[in-house]
Amino acid sequence: MADQGAADPGNNNNNKPEASEGTIIKVTVKTPKDKEEIAIAEDASVTQFKEEISRRFKAKQDQLVLIFAGKILKDGDSLSQHGIKDGLTVHLVIKTAHKGGDGGSTSASSSSSTQAGSTSTSSPGTNPSSTAGPTGPAPPPTQTPNILTGFGDLASLAGLGMGSANFMELQQQMQRQLMSNPEMLSQIMENPLVQNMMSNPDLMRQMIMANPQMQQLMERNPEISHMLNNPELMRQTMELARNPAMMQEMMRNQDRALSNLESIPGGYNALRRMYTDIQEPMFSAAREQFGSNPFSALGGSSESGAQPSRTENREPLPNPWGPPNSSNPSESGGGTTGSTSTTGGTNPSVSNPLGINPGSLGNGMFNSPGMQSLLQQISENPQLMQNMLSAPYMRSMMQSLAQNPELASQVLMNNPLFAGNPQLQEQFRAQLPIFLQQMQNPEALSVMTNPRAMQALMQIQQGLQTLQTEAPGLMPSLMSGGIPGIPTGGGLPTENPASSPSSAGTNTAQQQLMQQMLQMFAGGGGGGGATTQTPEVRFQSQLDQLNAMGFINREANLQALIATGGDINAAIERLLGSQPS
Amino acid sequence: MDQTGSFPVKLYIYDLSRGMARQLSPVMLGKQLDGIWHTAIVVHGKEYFFVGEGINWCSPGGTPLGEPLSIVDLGYTEVPAELFTEYLTSLTESTYSRDKYNLFEHNCNTFSNEVAQFLTGKKIPSYITDLPSEVLSTPFGQALRPLLDSIVINPGGNNITGQR
Repeated sequence: MADQGAADPGNNNNNKPEASEGTIIKVTVKTPKDKEEIAIAEDASVTQFKEEISRRFKAKQDQLVLIFAGKILKDGDSLSQHGIKDGLTVHLVIKTAHKGGDGGSTSASSSSSTQAGSTSTSSPGTNPSSTAGPTGPAPPPTQTPNILTGFGDLASLAGLGMGSANFMELQQQMQRQLMSNPEMLSQIMENPLVQNMMSNPDLMRQMIMANPQMQQLMERNPEISHMLNNPELMRQTMELARNPAMMQEMMRNQDRALSNLESIPGGYNALRRMYTDIQEPMFSAAREQFGSNPFSALGGSSESGAQPSRTENREPLPNPWGPPNSSNPSESGGGTTGSTSTTGGTNPSVSNPLGINPGSLGNGMFNSPGMQSLLQQISENPQLMQNMLSAPYMRSMMQSLAQNPELASQVLMNNPLFAGNPQLQEQFRAQLPIFLQQMQNPEALSVMTNPRAMQALMQIQQGLQTLQTEAPGLMPSLMSGGIPGIPTGGGLPTENPASSPSSAGTNTAQQQLMQQMLQMFAGGGGGGGATTQTPEVRFQSQLDQLNAMGFINREANLQALIATGGDINAAIERLLGSQPS
Repeated sequence: MDQTGSFPVKLYIYDLSRGMARQLSPVMLGKQLDGIWHTAIVVHGKEYFFVGEGINWCSPGGTPLGEPLSIVDLGYTEVPAELFTEYLTSLTESTYSRDKYNLFEHNCNTFSNEVAQFLTGKKIPSYITDLPSEVLSTPFGQALRPLLDSIVINPGGNNITGQR
């Protein structure tokens, strides 16, 4: 009976046959740091149990305190007295000599490092199990920090726009993981192969650029390619990567800046945008070479099935008045950018930049108080919208969405607002390209960032609501709970002949009324954009000219032209200005 | 030995979204979530919770969150304050250090659950611990996941190890 623990050295820890009367039960003993399964006789006493435990955990019996179901197990008790049965868990605290001290609990202090590796978030950074030595996994983990710190450096270079907070988030995660396991990082760094590789900037650059997604990324964000092409910067980056302390220091600074950014009202969302635009593709780009993108599983498979670099993160479109889409992290202060909106899609056009669907304004979603308050918050907080929309990455996100209507539609379709309404989905799908293009339209953007404009819109909506109740005959389509109504909102004119999805028989008179209203609105808000053609059509000749001059990036050209209202010279300057020589 | 006193153990439940989740979740997520739950364990006259800084404590109801939305009685524990502090210290050194905080998988509710089990053998209500998976099962939650992973919540209090 004193023989408990006929230890089998070298065997798996469990299953020490206890020679006693009664059956053997397996009880899990859990410390704050660890847990072990201990087999003991069912009718053993607490003392015997403690003997076993002290052996297993290598602590003195006096130090052991066992707790089960809130009760402290005293030596004189028996296990069965407390109801300890097979498969149950007993908690153990190993007392230290002095209080609040160094946690005398032994048992697998190495467990902390494995836990450190595994509990960190799914940042791709480092594979916890890779240690110095293996050449295979070693480069990938450093690859990511290189890229990241590279961009982190960018952040400290002023005014490169996208360099800033965006990558800091990336780095935050990286930092966290790395910090939680510093030995790992230094091990990696010490690997001679890694050092070799890192001291060769050309090689690094090649590796990074070889990744097609990275290339796409670079295309969309010329700053990246600039960064990569700057050997000085690369060298600095690698220096940084080699010196974890320095890296941490820098990350910490950025961390601080980042949290400042987070605290401003619109900042959170802006960050999210940035993240989705850059980090996602970054991650995928980095990981694709060396493994699967941890985030693609989250989004890629469920949503687009398109390139993993763009997952449903693209979903938010900040137009509160356009077709519904959701955009915020619900947590606190939900009132950021516009999610919500009309239940009827509408065809946005130049003169109707927000794509307001006259037929369904004042319906459905708007009526819910939650939405109302959201909208109010939006109109009260122009800063929010501004942050959101003025970011360059927002633009590129829009671009990517515009280029990838399939994806965008999928993303939006999954939005629960759409879920029950296939007709709506159809409409929206058709209008998507226009809509997206509109989002890029600075006019539209400026309207949205203009608080007075937003307020005016809200007033219109409220007015319509009133109208709806007062004079239902005027807007019969509104009655039917806000449906697909009018896809061709106001000012449809030119646009897409291709997209005139079902107009569910609405009142044409009312439609015209709305059209006029919206045209006026657009005329006033659009700054003399009296033409009703797409910017592309409008600027066709200018585009050609730019092309001839050697500006082959049609997207950028268009943007510049739109921004400058067709002025070629100004556009050229813009284009040149945005591409740091 | 320690006296076999009996100390009541309570679970304080807060809604971080202050009601907004209840209103907006059907729209945002497509499913109804009644709150974004934050919990803390109150025992020995102190409120303990796990946040971005690590395990913190304060006087009950003393965080900026104010009074809890609801209080669940978890029963009694014999574990005295001294032992509990040791236990928490070991936790801080192992699985609940400040860098282990993860909004979805290893958050304040994970901590409350574990401590509740340690003290009383009971778990906290499942609707609280199920919250992350509820959110993650929506496409919206998944979209946000990478972002949310990097968030930590820091509602104040004193760090258990005396550092901040």
